[in-house]
Amino acid sequence: MAAWCLVLCLSFSVAAQSGKMVKVKGGEYLSFFKKENNKPVNVKPFYLGETAVTNAEFREFVKQNPSWRKSKVNRLYADSNYLKHWSADLSFSSSLAQSPVVNVSWFAAAAYCKWAGARLPSVAEWELAAAGKPQHIPFPSLTDYVLNWYKRPNPKQLPPVKSAYKNEYGLYDMHGLIWEWTFDFNSFISKGDSRGNADDELKAFCAAGALDVNDKNDYAGYLRFSYRGSLKGNFCIENLGFRCAKNL
Amino acid sequence: MKTIILSILIIGLISCSESESATAKKQCCSAPKKQAAAAAAIDTSQSLYSIDASFTNQNNQTLQLRSFSGKPVVMGMIFTHCGYACPKLTADIQSIEKQLGEHKNDVHYLLVSFDVERDDPKQLRAFAKTYGLDENFSLLHGDEDAVRMLSVLLNVQYEKDADGNFSHSNLVSVLDEYGNLVFRKEGLGADHSETVKAIEALLHRKA
Repeated sequence: MAAWCLVLCLSFSVAAQSGKMVKVKGGEYLSFFKKENNKPVNVKPFYLGETAVTNAEFREFVKQNPSWRKSKVNRLYADSNYLKHWSADLSFSSSLAQSPVVNVSWFAAAAYCKWAGARLPSVAEWELAAAGKPQHIPFPSLTDYVLNWYKRPNPKQLPPVKSAYKNEYGLYDMHGLIWEWTFDFNSFISKGDSRGNADDELKAFCAAGALDVNDKNDYAGYLRFSYRGSLKGNFCIENLGFRCAKNL
Repeated sequence: MKTIILSILIIGLISCSESESATAKKQCCSAPKKQAAAAAAIDTSQSLYSIDASFTNQNNQTLQLRSFSGKPVVMGMIFTHCGYACPKLTADIQSIEKQLGEHKNDVHYLLVSFDVERDDPKQLRAFAKTYGLDENFSLLHGDEDAVRMLSVLLNVQYEKDADGNFSHSNLVSVLDEYGNLVFRKEGLGADHSETVKAIEALLHRKA
């Protein structure tokens, strides 16, 4: 009886920490950049957070893991902008409680998901989930919606989660609210040839770039991949947060 | 109009990342300064030896990165099924060892595999034998989280392809005896005279 409760109660509390998760059907994901063999990657079905992790949720994690307090965090894992919108180690304006946590590094995001019994989604998983059909958006296509969002400046105060749109999987705000960390954001972004040097990265974004992508009209994808390519693991940025994923 | 805005955005992103990497170079790639008085004043707050991730070497021993403290470390990330780049990167590191001459045993040489599925200790041992790596070399296998975390810390890009091989950048990193990243050089068959100089500076600092 006790063991039964332990298992059930434990899985319940983990679910509470990682927030509500919804199932995303797997599929074939064709990398944004063209590879030599150009074969799509098979993505297995997985769970993904219904929303991004909020300030309130992240505060629980910081409470229980003091090494992630902004006064204590190691600069190797988070730069000086870490949680800069929080007024102190465990406090922020109450109006931000339900807004996505931002100014968090990749290391902090990965540590949070691990603590919550989950993990960060891969680029392939994230892109597949984010391509889900939107419900009720005032634009002819998701691409138009995304480009319209990309060109607007960041709002002074981030709106709460669920304020953008819901997609066919039941995921909220995959676009329209923040950018999100992925487990393998530092994936090699040029052709599938390991001979490549650092120059390939520049080639991919300058003149030769247009020749090497699978869908030349995917401006939004182009921006997302250049954004990811410019990140380092300890960067904390005011429009970059995360959500967690889990295997089925 | 939209295209113009987007172009500006793209240019902005590129110039950001370029100037960022330039700054990063300035921070990490200059040889240690003030060699004489350095030992007492070395800041270890950003040492890579704070990471707890476990790795297994080619002799099946479990260890952490900090197991290599006390000597400078020259490190590369590879996978053994790699046809061209990884043997070349391995050869680059071997040539660094050779150039260090009488000091070659004062340095650890690490090769960490991207291939968490296929590069078990046995496979790594076979690779070491094939390429004639001496006992100064440690070939490390880790789980996916450990390897990805190390790649992020070293700023090595890699991606697993649909065929199970890896696309990756080629980078040689140098850590000082405390685990601070002090030098990095990108490319294959690169001129590693600066790398050797950086290691020698560390060895002299210690002496």
